[in-house]
Amino acid sequence: MTAKYLSQPIKRLEDKYLLTGNARYVDDIEVPGVLHAAFLRSDYAHAKINKIDVSEARKRPGVVAVFTAEDFGDFWKPGPLQVPPPTAIAGSKFNARTIVPIAKDKIRYSGEALAVVIAESRYIAEDAFDDIIVDVEPLPAVIDLEKAWEDTSVRVHDDLPSNMAALVSQEVGNYEEAKKNADVVVSKRMLVEHVAGAAMENRGFVAKWDEQDQQMTIWANTQSPLTVRGSVARNLGLAESQVRVITPYIGGGFGPKVMTSLSDDVLIPWIARKLNRPIKWMEDRRENFLATTSERDQVHHCEIALKKDGTILGFKDVFYHNTGAYDSYGMTVPLNTQTHTISNYRVPNFYTEIRMVFTNTMVVTPVRGAGRSEGVFVMERMIDFAAKKLGMDPTELRLKNLLTAEEMPHKTGIIGQDFVANVLDSGDYLDNYQKCLKAVDYEKFRKEIQPKARKEGKRLGIGVVAFTEGTAVGPYEGCKVTISTNGKVTMATGYSTQGQGHQTVFAQIIADQLNVKVEDVKVITGDTGSFAWGAGTFASRGATLVGTASYLAAQKVRAKIFATASKAFGVPEDEIELGEGFVFVKGKPENKITLGDLAIKANPMRGVVEPGVEPGLEATAYYGPPHGATGSGALAVIVSVDPETYKVKIERFVMVDDCGTIINPLILDGQIDGGVSMGIGNTLYEKMVYDENGQMLTASFMDYLMPQATDMPKKIEIIHQHNKSPLNPLGIKGIGEAGAIPPGPAICQALEDAFSEIPLEILESNLNPSIIYDYVKKARNS
Amino acid sequence: MSQTFPISVTVNGKVYNREVEPRLLLSDFLRHDLGLIGTHVGCEHGICGACTILFDGEPVRSCLIFAVQANGHEIRTVESLGTPDHLHPLQQSFKDKHALQCGFCTPGFLMTLVPFLEEHPNPSEDEIREAIDGNICRCTGYEKIVEAVEDAAAKLSQAK
Amino acid sequence: MKVEGEHLFKAPREVVYEMFNDPNALGAAVPGLQKMTKIDASHYEATLGIRVGPVSANFSGTLTLTDEVPPEKVTLIVEGKGGAGFVKGVGYVNFEDLGDKTTMMRYVGEANIGGTLASVGQRMIDSVSKSIFKTAFEKLDKILEERWQQK
Repeated sequence: MTAKYLSQPIKRLEDKYLLTGNARYVDDIEVPGVLHAAFLRSDYAHAKINKIDVSEARKRPGVVAVFTAEDFGDFWKPGPLQVPPPTAIAGSKFNARTIVPIAKDKIRYSGEALAVVIAESRYIAEDAFDDIIVDVEPLPAVIDLEKAWEDTSVRVHDDLPSNMAALVSQEVGNYEEAKKNADVVVSKRMLVEHVAGAAMENRGFVAKWDEQDQQMTIWANTQSPLTVRGSVARNLGLAESQVRVITPYIGGGFGPKVMTSLSDDVLIPWIARKLNRPIKWMEDRRENFLATTSERDQVHHCEIALKKDGTILGFKDVFYHNTGAYDSYGMTVPLNTQTHTISNYRVPNFYTEIRMVFTNTMVVTPVRGAGRSEGVFVMERMIDFAAKKLGMDPTELRLKNLLTAEEMPHKTGIIGQDFVANVLDSGDYLDNYQKCLKAVDYEKFRKEIQPKARKEGKRLGIGVVAFTEGTAVGPYEGCKVTISTNGKVTMATGYSTQGQGHQTVFAQIIADQLNVKVEDVKVITGDTGSFAWGAGTFASRGATLVGTASYLAAQKVRAKIFATASKAFGVPEDEIELGEGFVFVKGKPENKITLGDLAIKANPMRGVVEPGVEPGLEATAYYGPPHGATGSGALAVIVSVDPETYKVKIERFVMVDDCGTIINPLILDGQIDGGVSMGIGNTLYEKMVYDENGQMLTASFMDYLMPQATDMPKKIEIIHQHNKSPLNPLGIKGIGEAGAIPPGPAICQALEDAFSEIPLEILESNLNPSIIYDYVKKARNS
Repeated sequence: MSQTFPISVTVNGKVYNREVEPRLLLSDFLRHDLGLIGTHVGCEHGICGACTILFDGEPVRSCLIFAVQANGHEIRTVESLGTPDHLHPLQQSFKDKHALQCGFCTPGFLMTLVPFLEEHPNPSEDEIREAIDGNICRCTGYEKIVEAVEDAAAKLSQAK
Repeated sequence: MKVEGEHLFKAPREVVYEMFNDPNALGAAVPGLQKMTKIDASHYEATLGIRVGPVSANFSGTLTLTDEVPPEKVTLIVEGKGGAGFVKGVGYVNFEDLGDKTTMMRYVGEANIGGTLASVGQRMIDSVSKSIFKTAFEKLDKILEERWQQK
């Protein structure tokens, strides 16, 4: 059966609603009688709370209630650990200190909620902030990662002896032994700096309690509706079936919306039930910077050991990872860093140590890249530094050490975020890189274009890097496919959508199996009332896990079609044919039954049924992989640097990407483009900055610069590789985060190449013209 | 501030007479008082452009204007361009070129681009990128938005 | 944030120092200073309204004088809190008699800013504080001229 829709550039089914203002996002949900919530947030990063006096605020006209931690009584408690600790890794130490819904006794980050005001409008709720008297004793703030690890005199969690949140080390082979045989050893300290997800839509939450039906309905723009449902049910002592979480259209996820058990997730449902009124909360942009999670913020001490012919003998990386004031999301981000440091190359000896530290900053959880970017950044940079020491071209050093297709599947020896040993399932990393060099015309750039530019006094440089993206990790996802009596198909999954085109890509897979028109397949995502099992949208796992579950469920429905048709026509199944929306006996197409009528036949209202037969043309399927599938690729950038302003322009951007089978090439390229804009943004424009007192200095778009249309290269050139994953029937691998991972190290390599006459060495990930100028000045003076 | 003022605003051709507080933002008025949810609020400090609407034909950030300032003026929001079954040519181009993903920034882009294309029926790529520099998109990297504008410009000039 | 600068006052040191100890003079000179009351010789309470970029804020707080060696030097400790954040600072001020009936006032200090003021206004705080100092000195020069002329 040839696939009609798989790998086709089908235009998205959801667009006509989004384009015309007919798509409801969480702030568009109107519930009669709703009250509005606003959180008073701490100015201080670290302080002991004496008293938060809300008595005046309660008197303000229009204010219905004000709550502080004390008002929640026993309901107040630290939240759940959303990701379990890494007990699978021998010797790992982990101190769980999970996020609290509102500050009690102590403030641990600036932006932490101190009080929640419920009022008739958001305007009045914010007015009431002026009525609240906050009496605190400021404490010194713990900010610097290395200092936080060493200095135990000031602790974020007083019941711990230090600020250590976790200590996890993993080893492959024996690095110290291998180093003894090295001809060249390079050591560097590098920073990968803090960035925000900064989706265009901020977080929001609406809760409605029905006292008569004892039902809680929640609308939230979460990436994990099932996690929210589970924790709300547990928190309120309800059965899960009494809680329905609906995700409306979501204006971008990128990671931060996967963190649950923040102030709103925990407190708004409780308040809705307590006051017996629906409550709505909508975050504003400043709150999003201060009190929604963000990522990156690592200090790496790396060492690479090689032979003089360029063979990598080993790599060592001891790094400090900032988890923020709490560590509810476990070790996902730094474990991704560990697995992705060596995942492109043959590295027989590797020692990696995570020193995870508590600081007085907001909690760190995944942002597109999710720890992978950091691992790839440090490895690619160290290879560049090693190449310089060896006198080799940086591309030459990579060609020598990249893994090839013959070496797949390759066990790296490192346990990853899914707590199983990381296996690289498919791909030809050497081929990715070679294709990239060819596509960007590396030889021509070196021999003709760059020398010509130099003669004209222009600073032009090239950087070519390799990367992998671990995707499609377990545990599982599932869906239910149903053919309705009107002949149209519905699919429901617990997975949630933030713009990745799920309504279209899953419909394509299902339409192929059931031989219906793709526009006749309606996909419902993230409504726990429609499908109540699954983990959440993260780690680029939707296409693979939900795509495979769609395929399996549709196949089951297809089998039911043939079984039901066989009974209906009274002929064996192999004489049945499936046309577009109907069944018939081979050779007699005029005598057909539509799928809608067949669905009616499959659900008899009288009579008897055979034992074991399920009603309807409906089936549920789940898919959980043995381990993740790994996407890979390479990126070449050519940059020019303005000699006066040091502004960097990306002249050419060529990316090779391997995500196995492509479901929809339009949507695939869109995902890469979006990731790329984040990678470029992170490298040249974005940086989240806390000062030494834990004050965030970049809590608006005035200071946190987002990449704009004129900051992007003219064309993001993409070359697709098609090495299918052997792990699932369609051969799919994830792609959601790939674009964000390589731009950083590629741009750094290119900048150093543009200034190749001086020993320019870039040791941090987030740059701007002043920072580049300082590096150049330092290199010139050395 | 509970004192209200009467305003009369024409939105998408229809006249609305309402009583509003002076500090009510135009974005909140359109979205919650009038139920026109197509205009979105991304930052409330005038940078992201998601709230862009047409104020007497000019693209303007509705998060930086008070509803009372719109008294006696004409506002156009994304709802005036097309419907799911009858898309404006620019909206059709956005769909054809996959120029939207989450869709949150999209209405702001459309309202910036409609007057731009009227004034620049044959824009170069550089002109398009500069025109949309005041609209932030986190999902698309802008590339397919530029392609959609080029596509729409070609279609619209052919139709003339 | 580091704060430092100097200003030449056209009056003898004693007159200048006396003016600085007069809450009415400061109240008139510092833009946005709404109220300044002397609690005792070394403690003042004040409310200040300022605008830093998009943030307009009212602060109420205390000013404490320590290590005072009149008319030569004084250390000022400022603590202010308001809806838009907080300010905490220390300033070392000294007055040098230049011998020709003029006084050079020099100040150097550290201010810690927190809250909304820091998170959305930090890039403007430097220029706003410089502007406050400039306006205050211009007004103080006028006040000083009147006082000195009276003498």
